[in-house]
This record gives sequence, C-alpha cells and structure tokens, in this order.
Amino acid sequence: MINWLLLGIGATAAVILLFRDWRLTFPALLLNNVSLALFLAQQRFVAPDVRVPGLEISTLVLVKLVCGIAVTLILTITALTFSREYGLENLDEFGLAELRRAARAAQRQRTSTPFQLSDYVVPFWSGVLALLASLALPRIYPIAPSEAIDFAWYWLALTGLLTIATASDLLKIGLGLLLCASAIDLLYTAVVSTPEASGLNVVPLALLSTFNILLALAIAYLSGLLYGRLKTLELGALYGR
Amino acid sequence: MAYLLLIFFPVTMAASTFVLRRQTELVIFAALGTVLAQLLIATQIPVDDPTRFLGVTLTLSPLNRVFMLLFLTIGGFAMVGAWHLPHGENFIPIALLILSQVCAVLLLQDPFITTLLLAATGLTAVLAIVDLPAGASNLVGTQAIAAALKYLVLMSVAAVLMYIAFVLTDIYRPGELPGRISPARFILALLAVGFALRLALIPFHTWLTHLVDYAEPLVAALIITLLNTSSLLVLILVFQSYPTLLLESEGAHGVMRLGAVVSALTGGLLAVGPATLRRTLAYLILYDCGMVFYGLASVSSIGLAGAIFGALNQTLAVTLLFVSLGLLERPDGRPPGVTRRDLLRRWPVAGAGFLAGGLGLIGLPPLNGAMSQILIYQAAAQRGWIELLPLVLATLLAGLGLARVAAERLLGPSEVEGEEEPPLLGEIDLDRPAPRRLAPEPRSTAVLTLVLLLLCLGIGLYPQPLLATIDEAIRGLAFLRAL
Repeated sequence: MINWLLLGIGATAAVILLFRDWRLTFPALLLNNVSLALFLAQQRFVAPDVRVPGLEISTLVLVKLVCGIAVTLILTITALTFSREYGLENLDEFGLAELRRAARAAQRQRTSTPFQLSDYVVPFWSGVLALLASLALPRIYPIAPSEAIDFAWYWLALTGLLTIATASDLLKIGLGLLLCASAIDLLYTAVVSTPEASGLNVVPLALLSTFNILLALAIAYLSGLLYGRLKTLELGALYGR
Repeated sequence: MAYLLLIFFPVTMAASTFVLRRQTELVIFAALGTVLAQLLIATQIPVDDPTRFLGVTLTLSPLNRVFMLLFLTIGGFAMVGAWHLPHGENFIPIALLILSQVCAVLLLQDPFITTLLLAATGLTAVLAIVDLPAGASNLVGTQAIAAALKYLVLMSVAAVLMYIAFVLTDIYRPGELPGRISPARFILALLAVGFALRLALIPFHTWLTHLVDYAEPLVAALIITLLNTSSLLVLILVFQSYPTLLLESEGAHGVMRLGAVVSALTGGLLAVGPATLRRTLAYLILYDCGMVFYGLASVSSIGLAGAIFGALNQTLAVTLLFVSLGLLERPDGRPPGVTRRDLLRRWPVAGAGFLAGGLGLIGLPPLNGAMSQILIYQAAAQRGWIELLPLVLATLLAGLGLARVAAERLLGPSEVEGEEEPPLLGEIDLDRPAPRRLAPEPRSTAVLTLVLLLLCLGIGLYPQPLLATIDEAIRGLAFLRAL
C-alpha cells in the first residue's frame, strides 16, 4: 500500500533539490513540512492529546505544523521584499555608486543567463544517487523503528546536503539546511520515543523548532544583506569577487 | 534559581543593550556590570550539585566552573576592548547573548540540548560577523557576508552530524548485536567530523581563516575563544557520558590522533609561507587547535591535562592576539595604503602583545602555553617518536611563521620621519608644515593588552594552581579509568 505522506515528503524534497525558482521551492518546503507533520501524526510517536470533531492529533504535530508554516513565511516574505532598500540614508557617494554598479552587473547577469537544461543535470543525477542511497540504507543500516521512517530521514538528510552542495543561490542553501534540520527532527522524534530509548523531552523538541525558525531568520537576514549589497542572491557573484 | 539567572540575566541585558545600542559608553558599562554580576553568581553556585528544571539536569562541574569564569572574564575584556577597537553596532548585545548560550552549554548535561545550543551560538555569531558600526557610511563587505555564510553552513552541518550521533548513542547498547559491525565507530566518526568542524581542524578549517581575514578582531576573538573552547568541553562531556564509544573503537583513536597531527603540522607549514598578518595569525591558531585536539585524542590523563590546559591558554593567547591586532590595524596618523614594517616601534604595547600571544600559542617558556605543550609532548612521547616528532616539527614551523611575520611587520626600523632637514634658501619656520604628532595607543586598550600579557606570563610562571584543578577534574573522568 502506498504511503502518500511519505511520497509527499519525497517529492517535495526532490522539487527543492531540482528547481531554482523560489516560487516553486517555497511551496514545496511548505508542503514538505505539512507532509512531515501529518506523517508524524500517522506514525503516532506521541499519543494524541488534542481532540476536535473528526480529528485526533498530538500537540507535537501542531507545533511542527506551526513551525513549518512560520519558516516558509519568513523565507517567502524575504523573497517578496528583495526590491526594498535598507539603510541607504547613511551611505556616502562611493557606497551609492557601488550599489548602482552592482545593480547594473546583476541586470547584465540576469539577461545573459537564460534557462539552460544543463543547469539541472547535476542536481538531477545527485537526486538519483540520493534516492538509491535512501532506498538501500534502511536495509543496510536500520536505525528507526520502521523502514518508512528510515527512508524519510535518510532522504531528507541526503537531499538537504545535496541541495547545499549544488546550490547556486543563498535561498537554496537555506532550503538545504532546513531539510537537514527536518531530517534530524524526524529522527529524534521517531527514535527517542521508542521504548528502549530515553524518551522524548520537551526542551530538545522546543529547541529544535526554535533552531528551525532561527535558521530561517539567519538566512533571511543574510539574503537581505547580500541583495542589498550585490542586487542578486547568486553565490557566483558573492564568491567571484 | 542561580542557574537560571546565569542563563537568562544576560539575555534580558542583551535586549536592553540592543535598545540602547547607539549609546556606546552606557551600553559598555551596563554589559560590564552584567559580566561582573555573572562572575559573582558563578562563584556562588555549589559545584557538582545537580538540579532539575523542566526534566533537564543542570549542574556545574569544577572544570566547567573554571572555564565559565574564564569565558565571563574574556567577555568582560572584549567589552573593555570595544571602547576603542572597531566593532559593530550590535556587538555588545550579541556578546551578551553568546555568553548566555555558553553558560547554558556549560551547565546542561543533555547532549541533544547542548548540540542545539552550540548551533544557536553559531547563528548568533553570524549576526556579529556581518555587523557594521553605528552610522557607518560604507556597505557590508561581500567577503564578510561570504565568511558569515560559510560559518553558518558549516556550523549547521556540524550540528546535524552531532545530533544524529547522539540519537544513535541513545539507542546503542554495547555488545547487543555480536554478529554486526559495532555502530560505535560510526557514531565516533560522526562526532569526530562534527567537532572537527567546530574546532577548525584541517581540512575542516576554512571558516576560521575566512573569519580571521574579514571579521572585526573582537568578533573573531569571541567566536574562536568562547565557541571553540566550549565545543571542546562538550566533547569531553560526551566521552565521559559514553565511554563505550572509545572502548569499542580502539583503532579510531589512532585516526583521531593522526588527524590532529596532520592539522598541527599543516597549520605550522602554512604559517611559514608568505601571508598577511591576519592570515598568519589564523594559521597559528589552526596549529594550536591541532595540538590541543591531539592531547584530547591521546585519551591519556597527561594528554587530557595538556588539552584542557592548552584550551585555557589558547583562550587567553587568542584574546591577547586579537586585541593587539585591533590596535596594530588602527589608523596610525601616517599616510595610509603603505604596508608598515615598524609596528612594534609605532605601537609598542600592541606589538609586544602580538609577539607574546604568538609565543604563548607556540608554547615558548615562560609564557602560558609552555606547560600545556610539554604535557602534550609527553602524551605523544608515550606513543613513540613517530608521533612526537611531527608535533615538535609543527611547533618549529609555527615558530618560524611567527618569526617571519615579526620580521616582516613588527621588527623593522622606524618609518617615522627622522631629523629635520635644514631650511631652504628664503624659507622660514612658518612655511614649514607643523611637525606631525603621532597619537599613542588608547590608554584603556593598552592597559587591557598589558593585563592579558601579564596573565599569560603569570600562568606560565606559576601554572600549579590551575594544573591542580585540572588534575582533580581529570581524576573524576570515568572514561580515562575505563581505558
């Protein structure tokens, strides 16, 4: 029987790995977080304690859901407000001239780099490798109580790392880091809640969610700074100088 | 209550100083008051008296208390340094937040929580790296953003690796599956890479060189001293909590020692090559990180004493180096854009501080690093010449690197204009430009440099009290007895 939530986690992480446009990757991140929260509810690592008519879920799932939405909102608001300028009132003539130069360079880069299929070759094949590894590792090195959970966390961690490795812009790096954070979140919840483990503690769970949000804020802050400086989020422009 | 005060008081003060951040002097005074209060609280907390809060154990071991007092003192020194040295608008609030997080790391015993707190310190440090002074008329440097991004990514990856390792240790039972390969090695490998990233061991060191090159000296000092050393203490806690990891992976110790030797040797080798003042400083720190990690990886009481004492000395020497660097890089009243070679003559206190800090890192007597390096050499000698020789060679190379940078930048002849030329025909005194008076070093920072220098010298000449405390702490470590 197909586990649609697992499929949702896998497909949305693949979209994040493959595509560059934030209009595609951010909704994928939101869906990934929603699928993950529902997957946690399905696996019943924590007994449901919130009962509304027709639905029984645990507070933990609600917290993960809220955290996922918050993280996506932070990044989306950042992406939407890139056109705004911050702190220009203190800049001298040299600073302003540098900004104009950066804007021209970014404009030139945008017009000279049309869509190229070759840009997607490395992420695609790295995704294939990650898929093979995620299918094989739960059998070779099982850690979580079920194969589905092992697949989910291995897949999230590997796609996260590969997203960071193949990223061409700063937001993509942030997405990769958030996928890795989701992987350890799932692993911790699944493994530490088993009877033979030490048991879930509220403080690490709260800190994990806080870490996710702080990570999104840090990426948003750095994105704002980079865009304010170079008028682009491309890493090539950052490291090429 | 005192535990919570140690963690949350700096957070509230960070919020207050953030609101008042443009009133630099007031903010520095408030932060210094906070640090003094923290020092007082830390001395009042009973040692090894655990307490529970929200299901989490909080306790302060004697070793962690020594380091907590040291970190708070270093934080106080950084705030005094901020009086005259360049720093960002939000440096004080960020420093207070980092101090709070580091105190929490030292008080908490849960590896999951400490890992996440270490990751959170990394995120806080990112804010300091890209921070610009209040009212700055320039833009944030692209290289500073690149350094911050590199630091953020590597610290997050380190946290992920460490977290996975701790989840595995939670379900790992030694000898449970006799037919299978022990997961202890896998866990140790994850931990080794995670902590190597945090401790900047070669080849996981690139964030440190980038940070030293492009961050403000005080920011780099805080990150390298507080965050790296607290990571080392967490690693010791991990070995103490999970001694079976070391017991079941005998061969892995050798790999860890080899990694440390390679790190120290490469750091020393890189220091010899031509490089800027900042880059040479980064290489000297990399060399010392390798040496300290060797002491830890030797898993012997002598080596561990050397590592802990070395970490303490590194904290002081690195602070001294960066405060001196901040002074050496100040505009000195002479035409800019010229690489000066007479920095010791121009800035005598800062130049002396830089040399003493460098020599302290290398372990030249009578400075503070000498005793810790000797202990690490002894630990290496127990393993044979094959491990001792590369460490001695690494120290010689690092010494050569320091000598090179001193000859190139510090010890040159004075470049201040010499004797007055005789007046030309028809020239009167009023036609001549006024004699240039070069400003001396700012008094507060010069005093701070001298205090740090004297501390380094004092510990070097009289290391017994600290060594006795470290020895006592090491005697309580069960994993050393088990091995």
